[in-house]
Amino acid sequence: MKTHLLALLFLFTGFTLFAQEKTVTGTVTSADDGMPLPGANVSVQGSTTGTTTDFDGIYEIVLEEGDVLTFSYIGFVTQEVSVDGQEIIDVSLKPDLESLSEVVVVGYGEQKREDLTGSIATIDSEEIQKTPNSNVMQSVQGKVPGVQIVSAGSPGASPTVRIRGLGSFNSGSSSVLYVVDGAFYNNIDFLDSKDIKSINVLKDASSAAIYGVRAANGVVIIETKKGTRNKKPVIEYDTYTGIQVAQNVLKMANAEQFATMAYESGSEADAQFILNAMQRYGRSELNPNVPDVNTDWYNEILREGIITSHGISVTGGGENSTYSVGANYFDQEGILDMKNEYERLNLRSKLDINVTDRIKVGSSFIFSNATQYSPEGSAWFKAYHAVPIMPVIDPQNTDAFPTRYSNAQLLGYRGTQNPFPDMRYNKNQLKVRKILANTYLETEIIEDKLTFRTSYSHDYSTIEGHYVNLPYTLGNNVEGFSSIRREQNNYSNQYWDNTLTYEDSYGKHNLTLMAGHSYRDEAANTFSATGRDIRGIRLETSQFLNFADPSSFSGNVNENGARIYGLSFFGRAAYNFDSKYLLYGTLRYDGSSKFTQDPWGLFPSVGTGWVLSKEDFLKDSSALNFLKLRASWGQLGNDNVGASSGSNTINNVYGIFGGQPYTGYTSSSVFTDNEWELVEEFNFGLDAETLNNRLSLSADYFIRDTENAILPITIPVINQVLNQNAGTIRNQGIELSATWSDNINEDFSYSVGGNFTSIKNEVTAIQNEQGYINSGSAEFRQRTVVGEPLQSFYGLEVVGVFQNETQVSNSPFLGNNPEAQLQPGDLIFRDQNGDGVINDEDRVFLGNFLPTYTYGGNISLNYKNWDFSLSVYGQGGNKILNRKRGEIIYTNDTNMDADLAINRWHGEGTSNSYPSSAGLRKSWNQQLSDFWIEDGDFFRIQNLQVGYTIRNEKLPEIRLNFTAERPLTFFKYNGFTPEITDGVDRQTYPIPAVYTVGLNVKI
Amino acid sequence: MKNIYKVLLVFGLSASIFSCSDEFDTRTGQLNTGDLDYTDPSEMSGALVGAYNAFSTRGWEEALLLAVRGDDVNAGGLGDQQPFADTDNFIYNNGYWMYNSLWNLHYSDIIDLNTAIVQLERYREFMEGEDDLRAQQYIAEVRVLRAWLHLNVARTWEDVFIYRTNNPFEEIEANGVSSKEEVMQFIIDEMDEAIPNLPNVRPNERTDFPGGVTAYTAYALKAMANLELENYQGVADAAGEIINSGRFSLYPDFYQLFKIPGELSNESLLEMQFDELGSDVGGTFYHNFAPFGPQGWTPARENASSGWGFFEPSMKYIKFMLDRNETVRLETSVLFTDRGINELNEDGYTDLPAFVSNTTPSGDVINDYERAYFASGKHYLPSDQLPEEQNSYGSAKNFIVTRYAEVLLMYAEAVTRGATPTAGSAAEAVNQVRNRAGLADLPSVTSEDVMDEKFAELAMEWGIRYYDMIRLNNYSELSYDGRSFSESSEYLPYPQEQVDALPLTN
Repeated sequence: MKTHLLALLFLFTGFTLFAQEKTVTGTVTSADDGMPLPGANVSVQGSTTGTTTDFDGIYEIVLEEGDVLTFSYIGFVTQEVSVDGQEIIDVSLKPDLESLSEVVVVGYGEQKREDLTGSIATIDSEEIQKTPNSNVMQSVQGKVPGVQIVSAGSPGASPTVRIRGLGSFNSGSSSVLYVVDGAFYNNIDFLDSKDIKSINVLKDASSAAIYGVRAANGVVIIETKKGTRNKKPVIEYDTYTGIQVAQNVLKMANAEQFATMAYESGSEADAQFILNAMQRYGRSELNPNVPDVNTDWYNEILREGIITSHGISVTGGGENSTYSVGANYFDQEGILDMKNEYERLNLRSKLDINVTDRIKVGSSFIFSNATQYSPEGSAWFKAYHAVPIMPVIDPQNTDAFPTRYSNAQLLGYRGTQNPFPDMRYNKNQLKVRKILANTYLETEIIEDKLTFRTSYSHDYSTIEGHYVNLPYTLGNNVEGFSSIRREQNNYSNQYWDNTLTYEDSYGKHNLTLMAGHSYRDEAANTFSATGRDIRGIRLETSQFLNFADPSSFSGNVNENGARIYGLSFFGRAAYNFDSKYLLYGTLRYDGSSKFTQDPWGLFPSVGTGWVLSKEDFLKDSSALNFLKLRASWGQLGNDNVGASSGSNTINNVYGIFGGQPYTGYTSSSVFTDNEWELVEEFNFGLDAETLNNRLSLSADYFIRDTENAILPITIPVINQVLNQNAGTIRNQGIELSATWSDNINEDFSYSVGGNFTSIKNEVTAIQNEQGYINSGSAEFRQRTVVGEPLQSFYGLEVVGVFQNETQVSNSPFLGNNPEAQLQPGDLIFRDQNGDGVINDEDRVFLGNFLPTYTYGGNISLNYKNWDFSLSVYGQGGNKILNRKRGEIIYTNDTNMDADLAINRWHGEGTSNSYPSSAGLRKSWNQQLSDFWIEDGDFFRIQNLQVGYTIRNEKLPEIRLNFTAERPLTFFKYNGFTPEITDGVDRQTYPIPAVYTVGLNVKI
Repeated sequence: MKNIYKVLLVFGLSASIFSCSDEFDTRTGQLNTGDLDYTDPSEMSGALVGAYNAFSTRGWEEALLLAVRGDDVNAGGLGDQQPFADTDNFIYNNGYWMYNSLWNLHYSDIIDLNTAIVQLERYREFMEGEDDLRAQQYIAEVRVLRAWLHLNVARTWEDVFIYRTNNPFEEIEANGVSSKEEVMQFIIDEMDEAIPNLPNVRPNERTDFPGGVTAYTAYALKAMANLELENYQGVADAAGEIINSGRFSLYPDFYQLFKIPGELSNESLLEMQFDELGSDVGGTFYHNFAPFGPQGWTPARENASSGWGFFEPSMKYIKFMLDRNETVRLETSVLFTDRGINELNEDGYTDLPAFVSNTTPSGDVINDYERAYFASGKHYLPSDQLPEEQNSYGSAKNFIVTRYAEVLLMYAEAVTRGATPTAGSAAEAVNQVRNRAGLADLPSVTSEDVMDEKFAELAMEWGIRYYDMIRLNNYSELSYDGRSFSESSEYLPYPQEQVDALPLTN
């Protein structure tokens, strides 16, 4: 249109110009995928002449020979072309990879990356989609410094996410806040990674402070995909399918090793049990002292699991609206050989409409329908302990019904051991349905300056649980009663946000002000009922309460609910002078009905930045393209703690008198009246780009204190544990990341990146009488004290193993610890206080479960139509309590892993770190010591992907890929996986390797 | 247009502020003491039921730890809970969780009982006449239960705290620990105050709360406290009140006394009561008796679970009983295994009576298990007495705390130690107990005879034997089966976690 006007203008004025006018046409495309770019700006340098490309990326412009054309498009590098005789100028714009000008979502608004003063990391959709997993956050592992992801192996389970260490005692209180298109979540298991446009991790307090009382553990802002204006519909189909294979399966002692250990234990009973097994199952032909059974229980309970995903989406936009709709299907089988599966269907739509130039409305909608069959965690535990001299099925066990599973009690063992009854007779079905609906209205009250936005979100979730136990017998009077537990959890959370944003520039002064208000109402309700004695014994059908004996319901019916209200006012000011001097500040005033003492709290933050590279003395530096120093400070609240009761509560109880039940109550004598946990953080950072923008570096140092930390304080005298604001927890560390990327030529480009994080977790204050807080069980003690990390393992230190009688008799412990009845093969502990006796006073801190450092790296190569990427991840400094081993303290007749069996002390000089078989059964050696605590260091090939893209004009764009997710992990820990959320490995679900092939088609 | 937005915005903001600020005071899903109606006399008993609930919900380890040091019982539990076995051998570890748990559970229940008293006092403010008397009775009942908990902690640790309030920080600050004597005197004083408000009936005669505390329960506790003080006249006087009431008698069948038929018998003075909660309420209210049970058995009733094997009658006790030609009391008190019987044979007890067998009178067969040779019979419920569909060991069995036989024997002991008889001779009291056990009368009894009778009659019950022996400084009896007992071993050290938090020193 503009060109026609110009032409008319020329016609009417009739000037004759010296220069020669001509019309140039062409197409602007994206160098990335060759797709046309509609709406790209095409302008003549030094004039007001300009146009934009149409739907097909085509433009037409009238200019003069010798002019310079500028092509620009958001997110792409601006390109200039001199007109020198060409009539057709096609350009292909390169995406702006460094994207300093990229816009970052900061919570109730956006900011340019170069203007940020805090620490915000962004992961884009491409990276997210490389990881075949049901949970989006798994893809973040190893990619963002300062963010620790502890993988979850079970299908549908969410990984643990820790941003900058652990600031709360209870892991339940340390969950990250997810903001999905404006709605708040503690869990985003309902999102499909294909629907994500970007993930922004707000790491420092200053960035997160705008979320006030919810933000203490860091904030992850997730935006789902939306359409682009003036773009033809793009239909995208994406699928992958593959298998999951258990990795690093722990080697258990086999029948021969187990029998040897049993004979060496000196326990008559244990030897007798071996004999019993030989009588029952016969003697091995190879070794007549070993029963003719050799069951590898892990092998028996494991399987390969299929993983499949399909997604289809359509995105696009017209002149006044954009849209994005899609459907995703995800299915994952667990590697535990039982009904262990996760299946999810997601429907999604997002619509944005410009009603007028200044009024915009939109809505988004996600419906997620998932069915999850949870594993029986006990199977992992039982498989570890089950003796190898027993088969899975024992035809002689005629008392076992319906399947003749073996029962170790029939050989004399204390437990039944066989994991199969748990796996076969139980079903844990969860139907998880979640709806997220959001609608907003945005209007420019003053054009380009003052914007008002109101947004309402409702997140409604239901979890329908069916827990079915079928009746069975296992011989030796072991009977499992049938029961059905129905659980219904409903969550209804509403959020209403209103913001007013003012943006203006005065010369080089740029200012953005935002003021807002937020209201939230979060209600939860749980109903559960248990019935026994079910009729019908098929797991598939007998899952409803009506199949149970009606008289068994009463008393097994529970309902509970809670509702929390919150009201907040907040504001933000972001100012910069010429994008050189940056100032940033937020303030949030939060009220929450959880706190009875004072529901209101004020959370401020400030940030400042200095872009040195824009100063005169660096402006022309060719080596340094960009350099920014940042500093920020902020306070955050954590209301993700139990609500205060505010007064004495009563609890309904029963008493029996003469065989009749009487109802009554007990009332508490103490109650909670807490405040939120308060996080205060300083962050200092640096961002730099050098060597022609090819190398970008980023570094951060932070000190993050959680004050008023809620700790489980044992109230002396009353002897009740009460969660109280009673401590300070400090996390401090550094985060480094570097990326090198380069385009060698049109056919070949590559990038290499790495990141490193070091975090020190330390408790700096505890206010209670004892001066410490015990956790874990008495046998596996964890203790929190000032100067040590949270919940450190607390036990004795092993210095060696008694090798001979002389050594024993020379030891002071022989006489001073008479109960130990020391023998060669027993552990020697360090007598920390030198009093000649080993007791509780000799316990020391043996480390905790938080890694002190993590690192990640990635390489990606693009050659013609091929692409390749590899990422790695590692961590160290964390300790794992190998509790499955340690539980020998409760039953000492069970199996153990091969490492214990092979490395045991069995004569002078055979080992100076492992006790003898007899020693393993003695309480002296069973005391918690660093023998049971192992290093959790590991290094892993996180993800490997090879892709091939078919680009042919006649065909839609097709990309094929092969992905190996977590194919190799290297570690020393004696377990399936070193990724143990809270460091206590009892029955952790192993993390499988996943191999998939995928296909992506775009039309 | 602009104005409309502003109006909308202001309206929206104010609406949400008003709608929410009110909500800050609501606590959805929480019941507070403010929800109770203290003017309603019919609600008053709720606090009393809560007190009995607190008294009856005992951790499995409590009764074990209270009793294990006696020469009547051993720890069992080989290969598990070693410090428990060490405790049985008088090697104490004050970091051991059981010590702390016994302390914690007892004191937190004392606080709960004190809170129940506070609640009852609040009702009392609004009660008149009969209801006021009832409130006073309830308070007296709670005070008796509280006294029993204080008795246990003082017997275990000697000098301990007395808590009269439910927020006793000030009491601790003011008084510190009280000596064992002071605690016993506290119990005596408390009982003297409680008795006038309590009904003069047998617990099983009560119609409002069958099995609840009566004046005689208080007398029994008073006798026990006096016994600890070696104030034998006080013992004879308090026990004499019970005997002279004529309301109590020994349950004829000693074996069934500890089973379902013997629940709330005329012998019972204090009993923790357990049962299914019935179809109206649903669920169960049980004590976990499994630690007392044998670890392996073939039950008469299919699929009944066995126990944990943590409580083993001592060889010394069994030989003592065999030497006395005891029958029903030995048969009732001990569950035998073949392994245990072999052990007896090897020690020369070859000519054993027929009831010494691994089959109980109820037809349950006790199999050999590694942990122990014997299991406790007094904590055993025959599998055929288990409620339907309940497999847990000892389900629905009551736990007798104090019975008339103990009162008779306390009386007899007091008289033999010089107290003026108030309720007949010592021999009369002892012979009642002997007759029920199928033994002949003794013409007269010495203190020695009474102590032997107590050993035979009350073994495995709440550590009565152990506390008798340390009261009498009879360390030689406790130095049995390779153990050696000295005065320093009488009391457990305070749990480390309590030492760290409270003004206590070991």
